[in-house]
Amino acid sequence: MSGQPFKRSIDAVTDIYRFSEDVMAAADIDGSVRFPVHLAMEELFVNLVNYNPGARRDILIDVQVANGGVIVTITDHDAAEFDVTRERKVDTGTSLRERKPGGLGLHLVQHMVDTLEYDYRDGRSKIRFSKEPETRDV
Amino acid sequence: MFEIDYGENGEVRCIGRLDAAQSAKAEAFLGRLDASHTLDFERLEYISSAGLAILLKTQKRLSGSGAAIKIVNVNKHIYDIFRYSGFSAIFEIEPL
Repeated sequence: MSGQPFKRSIDAVTDIYRFSEDVMAAADIDGSVRFPVHLAMEELFVNLVNYNPGARRDILIDVQVANGGVIVTITDHDAAEFDVTRERKVDTGTSLRERKPGGLGLHLVQHMVDTLEYDYRDGRSKIRFSKEPETRDV
Repeated sequence: MFEIDYGENGEVRCIGRLDAAQSAKAEAFLGRLDASHTLDFERLEYISSAGLAILLKTQKRLSGSGAAIKIVNVNKHIYDIFRYSGFSAIFEIEPL
């Protein structure tokens, strides 16, 4: 399986940032792509770490660049099934008093990437997402 | 890298990347605020949901005493995050 391995630790998000930033900087990827890619990678990785506390194997991350865009594949061979493409009910319109911290991660991912796919079989979760550069009206 | 400290005019300056690995540092600092403050995000490059949770928690706590945090100099990417999160209705936010 291709991909860079990362320890199942929240602290690994710093290493993930450096790894993906190096790949995107080398390809001169635009900031309109880099920010949502970093965000989606962190949210999805943290989700796998937090919701599979008994898992031990590293999580693999592969970053491919093409035509100014980025495709990221995150593979976890030690995961419970959790479909990240399923719509999450996050009421972003509630008042401060009613609003509860947390639960925004997947909501943001679903809004900020262009495609998001999930595949689960035999204990392996594979998440793939893509982000293309913003098109500008002229 | 993430740094948080007071600026010359009493504002709270946030610098770098406020991600899940750094959110404890932000929580420790913001947890000590007991009055209204302005957070200057001019040099904050990135924030994830972990950072958003700390901001929301702080705003909820301060609101109990009639205080609030205001966030200024927010870059376009972070402003988009705030918008998708519904934070525009909860915080006073000024973009860069």
